[in-house]
Amino acid sequence: IIIRVGLRKELADSLSSCRVLVVGAGGIGCELLKNLVLTGFKNIEVIDLDTIDVSNLNRQFLFQKKHVGKSKAQVAKESVLRFCPSANITAYHDSIMNPDYNVEFFRNFQLVMNALDNRAARNHVNRMCLAADIPLIESGTAGYLGQVTVIKKGQTECYECQPKPTQKTFPGCTIRNTPSEPIHCIVWAKYLFNQLFGEEDADQEVSPDTADPEVAWNPADAAARATASNKDGDIKRVSTKEWARSTGYDPVKLFNKLFKDDIMYLLTMDKLWKKRKAPLPLDWTEIHQLESSQEEAFGTGLKDQQVLGVQGYAQLFHRSVETLRSQLIEKGEGAELVWDKDDPPAMDFVTAAANLRMNVFSMNMKSRFDVKSMAGNIIPAIATTNAVIAGLIVLEALKTLNSDFDQCRTIFLNKQPNPRKKLLVPCALDPPNPNCYVCASKPEVTVKLNVHKTIVQALQDKILKEKFGMVAPDVQIEDGKGTILISSEEGETEANNNKFLSDFGIRNGSRLQADDFLQDYTLLVNLIHSEELEKDVEFEVVGDAPDKAPAPSVPEEGKNIANGNKDSAQPSTSSKAAAEDDDVLIVDSDEEPSSSTMEASPESSNRKRKHHDADTDATASKRKRLDQQPADDDEDIIALD
Amino acid sequence: LALALSRPRGEDNIISEEEAAQYDRQIRLWGLDAQKRLRGSRVLLVGLRGLGAEVAKNLILAGVKGLTLLDHEQVTEESRRAQFLIPVDADGQNQAQASLERAQLLNPMVEVKVDTDAVESKLDDFFFRFDAVCLTRCSKDLMVRVDQLCASRNIKVFCGDVYGYHGYMFSDLGQEHHYVEEKPKVVKGSNEANDGPEAKKRKVDPNETTMVKKTISFCSLKEALEVDWTNEKAKSSLKRTPADYFLLQVLLKFRTDKGRDPQPDSFAEDSQLLLQIRDDVLETMGLSSELLPNTFVSYCFSEMAPVCAVVGGVLGQEIVKALSQRDAPHRNFFFFDGLKGSGVVDYFGSK
Repeated sequence: IIIRVGLRKELADSLSSCRVLVVGAGGIGCELLKNLVLTGFKNIEVIDLDTIDVSNLNRQFLFQKKHVGKSKAQVAKESVLRFCPSANITAYHDSIMNPDYNVEFFRNFQLVMNALDNRAARNHVNRMCLAADIPLIESGTAGYLGQVTVIKKGQTECYECQPKPTQKTFPGCTIRNTPSEPIHCIVWAKYLFNQLFGEEDADQEVSPDTADPEVAWNPADAAARATASNKDGDIKRVSTKEWARSTGYDPVKLFNKLFKDDIMYLLTMDKLWKKRKAPLPLDWTEIHQLESSQEEAFGTGLKDQQVLGVQGYAQLFHRSVETLRSQLIEKGEGAELVWDKDDPPAMDFVTAAANLRMNVFSMNMKSRFDVKSMAGNIIPAIATTNAVIAGLIVLEALKTLNSDFDQCRTIFLNKQPNPRKKLLVPCALDPPNPNCYVCASKPEVTVKLNVHKTIVQALQDKILKEKFGMVAPDVQIEDGKGTILISSEEGETEANNNKFLSDFGIRNGSRLQADDFLQDYTLLVNLIHSEELEKDVEFEVVGDAPDKAPAPSVPEEGKNIANGNKDSAQPSTSSKAAAEDDDVLIVDSDEEPSSSTMEASPESSNRKRKHHDADTDATASKRKRLDQQPADDDEDIIALD
Repeated sequence: LALALSRPRGEDNIISEEEAAQYDRQIRLWGLDAQKRLRGSRVLLVGLRGLGAEVAKNLILAGVKGLTLLDHEQVTEESRRAQFLIPVDADGQNQAQASLERAQLLNPMVEVKVDTDAVESKLDDFFFRFDAVCLTRCSKDLMVRVDQLCASRNIKVFCGDVYGYHGYMFSDLGQEHHYVEEKPKVVKGSNEANDGPEAKKRKVDPNETTMVKKTISFCSLKEALEVDWTNEKAKSSLKRTPADYFLLQVLLKFRTDKGRDPQPDSFAEDSQLLLQIRDDVLETMGLSSELLPNTFVSYCFSEMAPVCAVVGGVLGQEIVKALSQRDAPHRNFFFFDGLKGSGVVDYFGSK
């Protein structure tokens, strides 16, 4: 028997016998599977809900063009077997959040390695591995940057020990009244798509927001408002979709309402424009009377990278509305379209509508290429970053097999070396956070909300699922009677969904016990009643840093342990974000999926969640590391540069 | 709209729809211009073991014009199990030839070729047909020779190897390597809150960027390996010098003396020799043996697959950067220590 590539015999033996789980068969997953078998791992299970897309082929090297549309996990397995037929690989074309993959399933493995691109799944696997007490190796990449870390219950932080900033959202009035950046217009355009063609969502209003606190109406303005727009009454009484239907989705009428009438209405809210440049309404007829500006021949650039003129986008708007209208008709009564960045008319519509709005608000317009990045939450990705990170994962894996957890590290991959010449920066792992709301022995949180205005559904979806990462929560009130508020069994507590929490006697100081049995996770939720939450804020977790600001605990010196230049090819939401990002935490590259990839996903709520996230966060979601500066491993001094 | 759908040739300025779709995620990172330069580049890759296969994969996926795989060695069970391009039934075939089919399948838009000659037998002008040359598993003398004759012709030279848990890469991009960096545009003018009614000018997108041109120079491999450690300046920099540099010197000497790398089969004999060479090499440099403690021998045998992946990733990206002339190259060594998980960039040679 050939001694495996330089490893000690005992280690080599344990490699052949141990069973490992790889969650994800994409960019990191393909590289990881290859490294695992070449290193001598024999028993590997891999799971991925996704199918192969042509845009994967620049880096997911186990796939070829002929595999487009097929299951990633399945094809990855087949490709690996070709160069290592003796490997024992099981592939699952499924979501790891499927209840079939319970704690018992996880206990089959000596090690779990994530190769994921979204936080919900990471949270879930984190909890499953804590419940099963199996070591977990976490990782993420975006562009040139990457990171690997090891999670071991009781010895290290878990994935959720440090609160991570939630996806960036914009206030309703910014989207509806006072956009100042292209991303605001793009989010507006996506909302508009849903209002017109898709599932209408009360959180995705596009019409002017009269409740904007900046506006401060006085009665004298009322008359001005009324004459500013013929459709004024309609804005208030009729939904956008109903109005559009009533006009037969006439593109010209739509255009004039959105980019002329509604803008003129905004202009009457003159307080908004005292310190801002006022928007300039567009008129369909006027636009087409102007000399058409020379449209740049795209020549040597990508067709999608052209930036058109106003006429161009008006035409694109017209065409895409007509196409989408036909799609709706074809689907029949009560049909709804789902926005998909890879569906050309849907992407055209958002490109056109966003650009027209940018033009109205005096912003430089963006090419379809750039709009797609932002609207579709596309994270640029290359093979080499994933190759490096996957190599590091296996090196950490070897240490975990030996239970050498004190040798394990968090390792950051930078774009450029830091002042200590390090391109790869290993840092000691942190111990668990004793107050972690996931891995502490009796996790507890305090949530501030308005018990008279929060419905049970919102508690379930926005708080327990989205914020606290539960998949199928069961909730009872600690009222001495153990009243069941939410049951994970379908239909059991459906009648409660639209009731307010106060209807159940919940008030300031009430406690709820929330369980997710699949994750073997119990969370005690203390409620504080408040009537003074900020506009658009439904709840606050007490003790969290505010969503949009960076956590104040990061010391100034920490920022100087430079992780190199932030990749600036990816348009970000604002220049402020670019300056503040240094350490890249595990990156979520939650790309808007094309509709085909959703087939394998059982949760429709999952789908809805994905839309919401992608709407509001267009950046490569680089998270700040919120704790102290990483300590250099090879010297006793904490690195201060 | 007339998009050329034919396969790109030479310095074609048109990107086909097929390329735009396949390279989308990387064009969004390094830009269309960089992709075009890659698409016009020819690369020679010497050595198709673990590290070579990783570099081959990375360059082919990136979309270079052509990649020549050169290796004179034959496939053995050991070499086959070290990489993922060689089919299971290829024992006895030439290593490069056996890797060809899978390599080509990684990206049909790249011209992948095979050369089964020994690199030592190649005449000077063989190398001149390439834009970049990457040498793995080569002797020090050969690497110095190739570096010397390529640098003068603006051919980018890269060297790399993996020894157990350790790996390195070296680059010589010539006396004047030009590249661009993308920097955020400085937004002049304050935000709305400060300006009064005057703040009605056209908004500059805070995310707009600008390309800045830069030039950087590299020294030869010979200079980099023949640093004089006896002078005071060099001595004082020793504390911050990675021991991997000296490890590399030792391993290159071993390779020259034995015509091969340390083998697990001859562990006892090779370890002894390594320690001896370590003493000799450091003594010749006027340095103490303590710079490279004895433990090194346990961890420099064979190619560890994950170390090949890390070094191959960094090396592959450096080649992409150099060919696309975008972003600051690492200058001029990268050392990876797989035990510590540390990766260091350092410069050796005349400043």
